[in-house]
Amino acid sequence: MRNGVTRISSSRTFYTQNNGLILLGMAGLVMISALAGICLGSVQLSPAEVFNAIMSGESTPNGRIVYCIRLPRVLGSLLAGSALALSGAIIQAVLGNPLASPGVIGVNAGAGFFTVLCSALFPAAVSWLPAAAFLGAFAAVAAVYLIARKTGASKMTIVLAGVAISSLFSAGTDTITELFPETLSGINSFKIGGMNNVTLEKLTPAWLIIAVGITAALLMSHEIDLISLGDKTAFTLGMNVRAVRLALLITAAALAGAAVSFTGVLGFVGLIIPHICGRIIGFDSRVKLPACVLCGAAFVTLCDIISRTLFSPSEISLGIVISYIGVPFFIYLLLKKRGGKHRA
Amino acid sequence: MLEICQLCGGYGRKEVLKNINAAFSHGTITSVIGRNGCGKSTLLQMCCGLLKPASGRILLDGRDISEMKHIELARKVSYMEQVHTVGNITVRSLVSHGRFPYLGYPRRLTEYDRHIVEDSMRRAGIYDFAESSIAELSGGQQQRAYIAMLLAQDADVLLLDEPSTYLDISSQLELMRIAAELKLSGKTVIMVLHDLNMALSYSDITLVMKDGGVIAALPSAEAAERGFIQEALGVSVFYDEKTGHYFFGKDEIHEKSNT
Repeated sequence: MRNGVTRISSSRTFYTQNNGLILLGMAGLVMISALAGICLGSVQLSPAEVFNAIMSGESTPNGRIVYCIRLPRVLGSLLAGSALALSGAIIQAVLGNPLASPGVIGVNAGAGFFTVLCSALFPAAVSWLPAAAFLGAFAAVAAVYLIARKTGASKMTIVLAGVAISSLFSAGTDTITELFPETLSGINSFKIGGMNNVTLEKLTPAWLIIAVGITAALLMSHEIDLISLGDKTAFTLGMNVRAVRLALLITAAALAGAAVSFTGVLGFVGLIIPHICGRIIGFDSRVKLPACVLCGAAFVTLCDIISRTLFSPSEISLGIVISYIGVPFFIYLLLKKRGGKHRA
Repeated sequence: MLEICQLCGGYGRKEVLKNINAAFSHGTITSVIGRNGCGKSTLLQMCCGLLKPASGRILLDGRDISEMKHIELARKVSYMEQVHTVGNITVRSLVSHGRFPYLGYPRRLTEYDRHIVEDSMRRAGIYDFAESSIAELSGGQQQRAYIAMLLAQDADVLLLDEPSTYLDISSQLELMRIAAELKLSGKTVIMVLHDLNMALSYSDITLVMKDGGVIAALPSAEAAERGFIQEALGVSVFYDEKTGHYFFGKDEIHEKSNT
């Protein structure tokens, strides 16, 4: 028994000592996926052609493909992936629930509802969409948190409450879509989540929010570790639990909201990536959070490549591809939890 | 010195503690005993600021703890809860969190902090598992890791809510050795214990609670001799002078055997 634990100890040491290299490898994966995202599609471009297209600007056909289609998609994928993965990692820590994520607990649906609502009421105010999405995301995360706090609900109840909130916001989105049919061009694509309608203009306000959100989350990584030890322990170690939790929920909502404002309701990224990163690099937030940013970016970019090349020249929504990967993973986590409970 | 003056309070409208008065000197070990639900854990949680009293004051070296900032209070009072949320982090990371009250931004450990973390893990007997994930350890090893975190926090007052839970007998004795070591270094150790033998044998003062009030705070032998434990817990206490051990018997059984 003792030998067994010592063996685990040595494997953990390996990861601890090689965290820098692992993060570097993840950064390399982001670069490769970004390059592949620009090169691959219904028209294949070689890296040399991409370089020439970038140099020539939008004057050539390849230049227009790169600047008007591929670059916004790749930048959108990188931003959305990193934001949603990081938001998921924060929500899991704050709610103390490994099954929580922006998609599962209704944060994405809340952001989606407010985005559609804003589009219906103020069709010209495109730059307000990230702010509206943030409000929706925060409303959802606050509702789930209040339910968890008031009822002392179990981890599974929190997930079920999130599912209910998610359904409520989805119903709200459907209501607005029926009342204002011309609300949002490509509403179906928005509800599934995809990069079809992403433009550099749409990314402009969102990237700033995501950059601030990532910085804030990384600065609070120590606090995230502390809060995941439980409120009482965090408090008696000198942390202002209420203030930190509020700051973290605002950060998580801002990240998810900003991503949803241009990709639509993209699920599962915030669930899958924090788990995978925890397995690869450990659960210390100081390394796990940067890993989530990098892996989330690479994952969504690669999924977007699959979505537009699998049935090329036809394209399926990015959200569908992620669901095919995310649903089995979610079921695996549920079964793993259930198995653990039975063993206990 | 930690002083509790006319303390009342509980959870919401439910009053658990009723007019508690007590004082805990530096360099002492106090065991808090009483039936389940009599307010032992509530008392500890109020002493570290987790619960706010409805009325009364808690003074630490003459200062009301409600006037202290979070960080300042964490440097003076540490608390180990009954049930831990087991994070998926290494023992070393957990113990390092004990230094949180001393870290400014960007929360980096100094050489001195690292030395204290290493030393705390050694003292708690968990050093061999420093790089292991907490989630993969046994209950007793997890408890040791949390005790190490408490040692790293280096507060003047240590509040331990049932610290011997999950520990085997050897580890329980080791815990008492650590408590004695802390006492010698001038710390105030206050523990909620259900093991009466351990409470009476290893603590200087036994604080006996009943129905939300303190019925005695006396040297352990005196608390046993004067029948306060019997009053609070309904058990008779016998002391074997030859072995120096306490024995306990349920009052009903004892009465039946006499008749």
